[in-house]
Amino acid sequence: MAEAKPHLNLAVIGHVDHGKSTLVGRMMYETGAVDQHTIDEYRKEASSKGKSTFEFAWVMDSLKEERERGVTIDIAHQRFDTDKYYFTVVDCPGHRDFIKNMITGASQADAAILVVAAPDGVMAQTKEHVFLSRTLGVSQLIIAINKMDDTKPAYSEERYKEVKEEVSKLLKMVGFKVDEIPFIPVSAFEGDNLTKLSDKNTPWYKGATMIEALNNLKMPVKPTTLPLRVPVQDVYTISGVGTVPVGRVETGVMKKGDKIIFEPANAAGEVKSIEMHHEEVPEALPGDNIGWNVRGIGRNDIRRGDVCGHVDNPPTVAKEFTAQIVVLQHPSAISAGYTPVFHCHTSQIACTITEIKAKLDPRTGSVKEQNPAFIKAGDAAIITVRPSKPMVIEKVKEIPQLGRFAIRDMGQTIAAGMCQNVTPR
Amino acid sequence: MGDVAAKIRIMPESTDIDLAELKAALKNAIPDYARLHAMEERPIAFGLKAIVMAVILDKNVAGTEGIEGILASVKGVESVEVEEVGLL
Repeated sequence: MAEAKPHLNLAVIGHVDHGKSTLVGRMMYETGAVDQHTIDEYRKEASSKGKSTFEFAWVMDSLKEERERGVTIDIAHQRFDTDKYYFTVVDCPGHRDFIKNMITGASQADAAILVVAAPDGVMAQTKEHVFLSRTLGVSQLIIAINKMDDTKPAYSEERYKEVKEEVSKLLKMVGFKVDEIPFIPVSAFEGDNLTKLSDKNTPWYKGATMIEALNNLKMPVKPTTLPLRVPVQDVYTISGVGTVPVGRVETGVMKKGDKIIFEPANAAGEVKSIEMHHEEVPEALPGDNIGWNVRGIGRNDIRRGDVCGHVDNPPTVAKEFTAQIVVLQHPSAISAGYTPVFHCHTSQIACTITEIKAKLDPRTGSVKEQNPAFIKAGDAAIITVRPSKPMVIEKVKEIPQLGRFAIRDMGQTIAAGMCQNVTPR
Repeated sequence: MGDVAAKIRIMPESTDIDLAELKAALKNAIPDYARLHAMEERPIAFGLKAIVMAVILDKNVAGTEGIEGILASVKGVESVEVEEVGLL
C-alpha cells in the first residue's frame, strides 16, 4: 500500500518560467498521480483555449481548484509516489514576504529539486533559492537542468556542462557538497530523463533519471543527538500545575527530571512533567509540540523568545555574531549602522549590522569586495551583528535549527541569513 | 501566482478563556482578503488548547504579517503563530 511508504516533503524551486510547474505536472503524470484520461481531457480543453504548449503546467492550475476543495486543517499538497517514497510537493509562495514563515515555521522540506532552464542558466531567483534552501536547512538537492529541448542546438551536451559548472559554483559558495548532488539534463515538456534515460536525445548522459534520483534521497534523521533546544512560544501559569512553557522541540531530547535552563533569562529549574496532546509523555523529541511543567521557575522569569536547554549545555547567548546573508529586497542600500528586526526561532530582536565584512560573488563564491560601503537587493554578504539585547542564536554548523533568521523592516522581509560564528555574552 | 493557504495557531491568554467565544471572535476578525477554510481546537498540554485555523489568502496579499496582527489583537489571544504556508 502507498500509505506504508516513507514520506518526504519535496520543494520545487528555481527562477520564474524555468519550468517548475511543468516538471511537477509531468512527474505527477509519469508516476500515475494524474491519469492519461485526465491529461487528454485537459489537453483538448487547453488546446481549444490556445494553451497547448503548456499543458502540464495548466493541468496543475486546474487541479488547484480540486485541491482547494480538499483543504482541511491540513493544507492539501500535491502528491506523487515513486516505488520507494511518497512525496508531497511543497509549493512555496513566490512573494518574498512569505520567507519569514519558512524560516520560523514548523514545516520543512526534506529535499528540493532546483529547476534551472538550460538556455538561461543561473538567474536571480536561482541564486536566491539556492541560498534559501541552505538557510532553511534543506540538505538534499537534485538539480534539474530543464528545457534541454530548447538549447541551441537542441540537447547540447556543451550547454549542459556550462550550466552544471555555473550551478556548481553557486552551490559550493553556500556550502553544498556538489559531488553528492545529481545534475540531470531534462525536458519536462518532452519527458526526457524523468522515468528513463533518453538514449535518443541525450545519449551522452549516463547518470540517474529523475525517479532514480528521488529514490536515492535519504529519510531525514531527527536531530536527537544535538543539544536540547526548545524555543519558548508562550508561558502559562496553570492552577494546580504551576509554570508551563509551551514550544516545539527543535533539537535534542527532553526527559522528565532533566535539569534545564532558559536563556537569555538565565532561569534554571527542573522538568517536572511533559505533556503533548494533553497526554503525559516521558520524553519529548524534535518536532514535538509540548507543554512542560517546570519546578523552580515562575511565569514572569521567562518569556517568548527564551530558549530552553540542559544546564550542562546551555543555549548560547550572543553579544555579537557573524552571519552570511542574502538581501532579498530593499528600497535603497544597507550599510553599517542599519538596525532592522531579526526573526530567529521565536524571538524578534532589533539588531545593528555593525560591519559589512565582505560582499560575495554568487557566481564564483569568492569575495567580490572587502568591507564594502553598502549592499543592495540581490547581494550576498558576510556581516557582523550586535543584538540590542541578549539573544540566543547558534552557529548554523552546530545547531542549524537555531542558526537561521529572517531580517524584517518596513513590513518587508529584507534578507535571510545563517549564523556563522558567535561571540558569547 | 495562486492563492496562498496558511495554517495559523492561536494560543489563548489562559485556560479560563471560553474557546467557543474566542473562535467566533477570530472568525469575525478575518479581513476581506482572506477566507476561513477550517478551524479546530488542538489539545496542547495541562488542559491548554490551541485554536488552529486554515485560511486562504488572496493571491495579491504579500505575507502573513497583516492577518497575524489582526488575529493577535482579538481579545483573549496570547499569541499567533503561522505554522505553514503553501501555494494552492
